[in-house]
Amino acid sequence: MNEVATPTQHAALAARVSEACAAAGLVGEPQAEALEALEALDYPTTRQERWKYTRAARLLKVTPTASAPLQAPPVVVESLDALRFTFVAGQHISGETLDEGAEGCFVGPVSVALERYPERLKAWSNSAFATQEWFAALQASAPQDGVCILVPAGHKLQRPVLAHHHMPDGAHVAQPRHLVHIGDHASAEAVLWSDNTSHAEGMMNAAITASVGNGASLSLEIIQDEPGTVHHMGHHHFTQGSNSNLTVRTATACAHWLRNDLHILQDGTHADSTFHGCYLPNGDQFVDHHTRIDHAHPDGQSNELYKGLAADKSTAVFNGKIMVHKDAQRIEAYQSNRNLLLGEQAAMYAKPELEIYADDVRCSHGCTTGQFDKEALFYLRSRGMTETAANNLLVQAFLAEVLDGFRPEIRDHVHSVFARRLGWI
Amino acid sequence: MLKIDNLHARIGDTEILKGLSLELGAGEVHAIMGPNGSGKSTLASILAGREDYEVTQGSISFDGVDLLELDATERAVAGIFLAFQYPVEIPGVSNINFLRTALNSIREQREEEPLSGKDFLAKVKACAQLVELDGKLRDRSVNEGFSGGEKKRNEVFQMAMLEPKLAVLDETDSGLDIDALRIVAHGVNSMRGADRSFLVITHYQRLLDHIVPDFVHVLAGGRIVHSGGKELALELEEKGYDWIVDAEAAEQA
Repeated sequence: MNEVATPTQHAALAARVSEACAAAGLVGEPQAEALEALEALDYPTTRQERWKYTRAARLLKVTPTASAPLQAPPVVVESLDALRFTFVAGQHISGETLDEGAEGCFVGPVSVALERYPERLKAWSNSAFATQEWFAALQASAPQDGVCILVPAGHKLQRPVLAHHHMPDGAHVAQPRHLVHIGDHASAEAVLWSDNTSHAEGMMNAAITASVGNGASLSLEIIQDEPGTVHHMGHHHFTQGSNSNLTVRTATACAHWLRNDLHILQDGTHADSTFHGCYLPNGDQFVDHHTRIDHAHPDGQSNELYKGLAADKSTAVFNGKIMVHKDAQRIEAYQSNRNLLLGEQAAMYAKPELEIYADDVRCSHGCTTGQFDKEALFYLRSRGMTETAANNLLVQAFLAEVLDGFRPEIRDHVHSVFARRLGWI
Repeated sequence: MLKIDNLHARIGDTEILKGLSLELGAGEVHAIMGPNGSGKSTLASILAGREDYEVTQGSISFDGVDLLELDATERAVAGIFLAFQYPVEIPGVSNINFLRTALNSIREQREEEPLSGKDFLAKVKACAQLVELDGKLRDRSVNEGFSGGEKKRNEVFQMAMLEPKLAVLDETDSGLDIDALRIVAHGVNSMRGADRSFLVITHYQRLLDHIVPDFVHVLAGGRIVHSGGKELALELEEKGYDWIVDAEAAEQA
């Protein structure tokens, strides 16, 4: 594979993607800074530290064919009572908008929000990523439809939101943007679910931009269950006010090639962030979780836990950056990353990064990569479990710390996907 | 029921068992005592099918089946249970889920129907009572944060649930206070029966005050060097092992 992306190659990719997205339908105006950034930024290569283990060169080959047929995909987690919205390849296809008027809650497609309440989105909906990362710039230069959640100050969204984005068979590109704004002392819960068919190819280049007000709370579960060969880039950006509470749980249940960038900015004092994730690549899959939290103000807390298994010849990457800014005193920031290698040819690259510029903080990180505990395996087998049953139980146990935080119906789904993929049920 | 004949085994380059022979009849309780490093735990591990050991010579037959041909899972299915000296902590797996999975895995391999939820819970209740294991411990992760005594009680609880034909207790008395010892022994005693045998491996005679064996064997230098009735345990407690080991050495010479 050619590691050096010549300008013509990535400019050509940008042109193909923008054209395909425009043909299918864009939502709102391209972000002006993003268009500039797309020209100015380098295409990611493994020579850049942030992309050292992640070969983005393979995305240069992505060539979308005709637009996706907009058929409703099978319903996910049917038992979950939620405000449901379905998107196929960046287009909204179903879901009933909740619109309580200019002063009330709005949950619906971004396209509808932009028509009805452009002024409510203006102040905050541009992503900072879009000027820093080439793929984020690409997304922002040709944005497509996603879910928009607006909860005004003091409101509590009564039902959770489930936004389901689906990629159908064929080579398609989708660049959905999801926008979430939780006003001061307001709260909401949401599930962002992306999946695709086993014959889906192409690229999913998605962005979440969320802002959580003072004293507000947001709980978000991100499920990525993507068989097929879609390349998935996620740019997830959260800004938190004072005394706010943010929980982001990400389960990469299945992905051919996936990179998630999660960035949390604590833009007020006493903010609390919890971000957990789990991943389990097998075959020759690739999963990369890059996280960053900025403690920019005093008295914040963060709790990060990512756990994963790499089976067969797969590769997993975890990079977790904790940035404690000068004067952000009395921060408590904890990071833990635990990995199991299940295949002799599986690879795991884990890198904690702590940058601390304040002097009165409590930060810790722990990072381990190992194999199954043979003693535990023997113990289970000595009780009559087959190797398969024992492995299954140990994986369940290993991931429980992360998976138990999800809603039970989602936890069970993710676990069954893992078990099925490893041939354990 | 169990016949071990001239067993030689090693781990890496270290030979540990050097011609061990032992026979257990159905319903019998045999105690194995011996100095540190004599191979007691090795014997337990080999019976349960731990793969770290290499058997270089000899045979083990269990109910007429060549045990050495079976892996750890198959041995459990055949009815062998090892109560571990150091029970393993498995965070994230509840004791109940663990037992349900084990029990149904065994039943499936024996081509039996899985136990109904109701029957399973009734059995859990009865077996837990046997070793005075309270509800909280049943619902907690396997052995995680259990005290030494709780871990051993949990082993006997599992044994009661799985109803083995041969139970091997590997230093089940180590780390037990006198109350826990009594509870564990009570659990074991109430499981004694005509078709269940026990191999009780211990350092100390005190366990044998509670679990009274039919036979006592002394394992030293990788072999059974002396066998006797239950009174042998008392003699060993009093005189130590040296007199037997020395006598054996003299005999060999």
